[in-house]
Amino acid sequence: MPQKRKILLVDDDLDFLEMHKAVLMNHGYEVTTATSAQEGWEKVRAEMPDLIVLDLMMEEHDAGFSFAQRIKNDPLFKKTPILMVTAVADATGYKFSLEEDGYWMKTDAFLDKPVEPSALVDSVKKLLDQKED
Amino acid sequence: MSTKAFILVVDDEMGIREGCKRALSEEGYKVDDADSGQSGLQKVTQNGYDLVLVDLMMPGIGGMDLIKKIHNMDPEIITVVITGNATIETAVEATKLGAYDYLPKPFSPEALIAVVNRGMEKRILSLEAKKLYAERTQRLLELVNERSRLRTIIGCMADGVLVANLEGRLVLWNTSSVKMLKSKGFDIAGESLEYYISNEPLIAAIKEVLNSEDKDFSMISREIPAQDKKVILMANIAPVRDEGGNILGAVTVLRDITKLKEINKIKSQFVSMVAHELRAPLAAIKGWLEVVLTGEAGADVEQNQQWLQRAMDRADSLLAMVDDLLVINRMEAGRIAQKMEPVRINDVIIKIVDFLKPAAEKQAVTLSTKLPDDLPSIQADLRDMEKLFTNLISNAIKYNTDNGSVVVEGKIEGSHLCYKIQDTGFGMSPDTLRHIFDDFYRADDERIKKISGTGLGLTIAKKIINSHFGHIDVESELGKGSVFTVCLPLEHRKDQKVEQ
Repeated sequence: MPQKRKILLVDDDLDFLEMHKAVLMNHGYEVTTATSAQEGWEKVRAEMPDLIVLDLMMEEHDAGFSFAQRIKNDPLFKKTPILMVTAVADATGYKFSLEEDGYWMKTDAFLDKPVEPSALVDSVKKLLDQKED
Repeated sequence: MSTKAFILVVDDEMGIREGCKRALSEEGYKVDDADSGQSGLQKVTQNGYDLVLVDLMMPGIGGMDLIKKIHNMDPEIITVVITGNATIETAVEATKLGAYDYLPKPFSPEALIAVVNRGMEKRILSLEAKKLYAERTQRLLELVNERSRLRTIIGCMADGVLVANLEGRLVLWNTSSVKMLKSKGFDIAGESLEYYISNEPLIAAIKEVLNSEDKDFSMISREIPAQDKKVILMANIAPVRDEGGNILGAVTVLRDITKLKEINKIKSQFVSMVAHELRAPLAAIKGWLEVVLTGEAGADVEQNQQWLQRAMDRADSLLAMVDDLLVINRMEAGRIAQKMEPVRINDVIIKIVDFLKPAAEKQAVTLSTKLPDDLPSIQADLRDMEKLFTNLISNAIKYNTDNGSVVVEGKIEGSHLCYKIQDTGFGMSPDTLRHIFDDFYRADDERIKKISGTGLGLTIAKKIINSHFGHIDVESELGKGSVFTVCLPLEHRKDQKVEQ
């Protein structure tokens, strides 16, 4: 097996953080975690993850949103795929888009919480494969 | 001719009286007689006659005098003069006094009956006319009363009322509508709606009703913003129709629903907040169960056991949250009947401290009290007090540091019995302090997120304190700890309103 792919999980709910970590590690990924957007940004720069799994709803309502934008606007990380997980797609009113455009949020894939372990693994694998191409 | 018609013959000549009685009785009239003006007058006073035949030449009260007196009593009684020396003068004079006709003596029964029949027709007509006149007067009076009653009624209404005619001109309104629409006041009737009202959606809605060709619709209801959107009005606009169903105008009833809308908004926000707060732990529980059931995170038994325990912990906190919500709900609905009785708060606190001691020791937190023996009992609900101090003391333990301490101290301050719960815990920033009594609020802190809590403990504490007319003060410094001081009145004042 080549070098382990590194995934950054950003979520303010410790249970989700740990369960996603356990699942991904079991599938052979190296996992690092952050519980806030600020910590997430620090980890992105320090650890250069291959993919980010991000919870939209963090301490402030748009923290996940701003964090994703920051990544996508940074030339160094804009190719890093972001998998958005959220429990409240309807409540926030944010629209997701797989295409880049001004109004819609740019993200590479999104899943509803609670994420089925197999769906999480599939999505992560797919995004990483796309990145290879 | 009605057989009931009652006729009096007044004549001093018995022959005339008898003759008249006979002739008139045969014709179906009821007939009475009097032999003098005196007794004639008496009979008229006692009985209701329709027609009186009066001889002019009688001793005592003469015929002219009698006619005058009868008409003074009742102008509707028909009088007919019978006279032996008929002259134009006497006839004219009698007519001036109100006599209907005269009959010169001698007269035939046919002539008598003809005159009486005519007189009776006249009487019936004039009675009818009088009745109609009285009815008309009454109607007019009622109409005037009705209008003023209507104005009084709609003037008293808290709802605004506007009535417009088919041309869109205002014909009736009340002061509530003036206030709601913040109009300059509708001083003159008959001007157009636009003249008084600057609310376009309302005018459009009224015109929509006035111009409707639908014969069946009975009302439109619309929410209308007014006063620069500071107020929301519910406008019910109904057409006024004639018998043929044609629209004559429109009645608009305005109700201020601003408060209702606000309450509804708060309710929706609360429901959405609760749903979100319930969904998060449920999603976590489901997540852990999936991890274990699918084996996607490995099959290590001990590890799986730990994950199930995590699901269990979230289920416990979810249950605690639902219980807290039920407590709040019951308090807000006033369904918890408070049982006010003398309660020694010292005893309540000693019991709670004993109960929480193991939890404190587990966290290496020392728990101590300074409770002077002479602190009095106060009027309070025992269950409320247990809940209040359990929430505050367990918070002080939960959000504390290793080797920290919690001190509960009681004392009298003025008219209040005060308990200070002081901890050496995390402390709070001024920003956090502002929100601690908000529903579901939990400080945004790594360490706090790891500690299970519903975010409702202080909400409940505050509600209990309010319902006991007390107050709570909080001092806190980040990293140093917090002091919660609960003060409850020594004298329970029954006259105060409970503020939830």
